[in-house]
Amino acid sequence: MDSPAITFTPGPIVVPALVLASREVGACVEFLGIVREMEGSAPLAGLHYEAHEPMARLHLTRIFDELQTAHGSAGITFIHRLGWVPVGEASLFLRVLTVHRGPALRICADAIDRMKANVPIWKLHRSG
Amino acid sequence: MHLTILAFAQAQTQLGFRERVVECTAAESPRALLARIAPGFDPAGMRVALDCEYREWDAPIGGAAELALIPPVSGG
Repeated sequence: MDSPAITFTPGPIVVPALVLASREVGACVEFLGIVREMEGSAPLAGLHYEAHEPMARLHLTRIFDELQTAHGSAGITFIHRLGWVPVGEASLFLRVLTVHRGPALRICADAIDRMKANVPIWKLHRSG
Repeated sequence: MHLTILAFAQAQTQLGFRERVVECTAAESPRALLARIAPGFDPAGMRVALDCEYREWDAPIGGAAELALIPPVSGG
């Protein structure tokens, strides 16, 4: 089981090249979270993201380790943007590699749910 | 002892600072500390973390070096 790759970046998310650590990998699920214009009733130009980065890394690592142990995974890549993110650009990228598609889909969904509940990252309605 | 307080998002807006070093005792709780240094601060809905781990508002600070005020998170 590879350690999850966790990155916070102030710049646009560049989707990393797909590297298969094993020839047993049969599923790759990728999720991009994109900033949308309408959140609530008013149109936005974008969102500002901030994080308690050391704590976020600690809790993300814990979440991914638990999910990898429970479901099995050949690799997890997580990238979250910080600072100003304009509408239409990605704020989050998550890639999960597994042998079969079921675990990859579950890990992806559960990881995002748990991130949104417990990982100290915030989106702020603030001008760029 | 010295304790670094980190305030994020709405906590920063309420307190007016992102980071501040304060004096406290190991027996003091996060709730008592905030009431002492920022009497108008309202922690409703916020969680508190000591050295990157979520803790109870009324538990002792102990030997922690950092206290983070964690408003409802909203990553993604």
